[in-house]
Amino acid sequence: MRSVLTLILALAAGPALAANGTDPDWPCIQRKQPHLSLGQIWSGPAPDEAIGDLAREPAIAALAERLEQRRLPVEEAEADIAAFAETADNARLTALMVAVFDRIEPERSALIAGIARYGQKQVELAQMIEDRRAKMAALEAAAEPDFDAIDSEEAALDWDQRIFTERQQSLTYVCETPVILEQRAFALARAIAGHLE
Amino acid sequence: MKHILTLALCLATTPALANRVFVSNEKGNDVTVLDGETLEVIGTYPVGNRPRGITISPDGKELYVCASDDNLVRVFDPETMEELHTLPSGPDPELFVLHPSGNPLYIANEDDNLVTVVDTRTHQVLAEIPVGVEPEGMGISPDGKVVINTSETTNMAHFIDSESFEIFANVLVDSRPRFAQYSADGSKLYVTSEIGGTVSVIDPATQQIVKKISFDIPGVLPEAIQPVGARITSDGAKLFVALGPANRVAVIDGATDEVKDYLLVGQRVWQMAFTPDEKYLFTTNGNSNDVSVIDVAAEKVVKSVPVGQQPWGVVVAPN
Repeated sequence: MRSVLTLILALAAGPALAANGTDPDWPCIQRKQPHLSLGQIWSGPAPDEAIGDLAREPAIAALAERLEQRRLPVEEAEADIAAFAETADNARLTALMVAVFDRIEPERSALIAGIARYGQKQVELAQMIEDRRAKMAALEAAAEPDFDAIDSEEAALDWDQRIFTERQQSLTYVCETPVILEQRAFALARAIAGHLE
Repeated sequence: MKHILTLALCLATTPALANRVFVSNEKGNDVTVLDGETLEVIGTYPVGNRPRGITISPDGKELYVCASDDNLVRVFDPETMEELHTLPSGPDPELFVLHPSGNPLYIANEDDNLVTVVDTRTHQVLAEIPVGVEPEGMGISPDGKVVINTSETTNMAHFIDSESFEIFANVLVDSRPRFAQYSADGSKLYVTSEIGGTVSVIDPATQQIVKKISFDIPGVLPEAIQPVGARITSDGAKLFVALGPANRVAVIDGATDEVKDYLLVGQRVWQMAFTPDEKYLFTTNGNSNDVSVIDVAAEKVVKSVPVGQQPWGVVVAPN
């Protein structure tokens, strides 16, 4: 009981911590960064319209599609980039970077939105647990307690608490997932930039 | 004769520890040791739970590590990485600063709004100084007379008399001040603000802000620019500021306080340290799990060296 209360308090404190100029619904310790920007991972040529067009070229788009997949080990991705770089100039390398970024960034943004919804659901569940607990207290305080109603309320409360706790324990991992995508984007950018002339 | 002189000079300049680089890995719970000349990893050593702040005594004999989740400072022999003893630190020590003489150590306790002062010889707490909410950054004047603490939530730089342990001035800076760095001649104090995205340049004599440095990187969203660590060359000519998730280090002209360049380093660049000759600057990159090596004269990143999980702090052994 006490630990759930502590968790609820911790959750209440979470958004307050994140509230430092950010979204109050954000449940993670990491500061909310809704979008990545190319400049965070790339200091090569700035992409212009021509490079944007080049990024849609089938060969480049297909390679970007392959590189973006997290199941492709970074070492293999680096080898693919090296092979591409053998015949690619700075414009084509930059186009590949743009194509990779344009795939990873929306995926990351969708994840961020998902985490915010996850946080909101936890806040709602915490409120539901509070309400159930108040109802239990009222049922128990009755002159002639309805034990069936108390039992059913208690069972529902147990479930809610269990779901809340398990979700809360997953939060650390959930909050790490955007970082995993950022790491991938950065590693690919570094590999591509290494072949710039 | 010449040979002997060369030998003698070599001997004098290469003690066992010269230029070893110590990197605290917050998530790895260890310290990675690098050779500052060859930039190779010498080894990785466990140092307790959630190591963050890291510093070394002026004689190079004691390495201090804030073991944040152990609520104490662990002290190691930098040569063997054996733990010598621990120092009381108060809860959740994050960052600290050593008096230029090597004693005492001033520690920021994020959770209970205190700066704890510990005698590094007797291992006793000398004072607990109440400061603003969530104390974080620590700096000390080159003459050792003034300790600076920044409080994240109160958004202040507190000026503390290092002997009486009294706060004698407070300067309001931008949101979430993280780090305080004096110029070597003591004429300027730089305070970084992580959320505010600025560096306040303060005149320590009058405790007035004389300038605010802001950052604008083409292709980077402003909210990704989060100034954290700061280091300045001893001649005051070059200030380097780590910009967190912007993954850049700003190079600033120390005379004009104007930004000259932004160097792409690793992800979530946090703290930095010079080699004693100021040839290299090392940066810890928490999300790419590496250290970037900046050639200070050329203002270029020359290498990135993989270290442990989530590198946080870095210190280089003195000559």
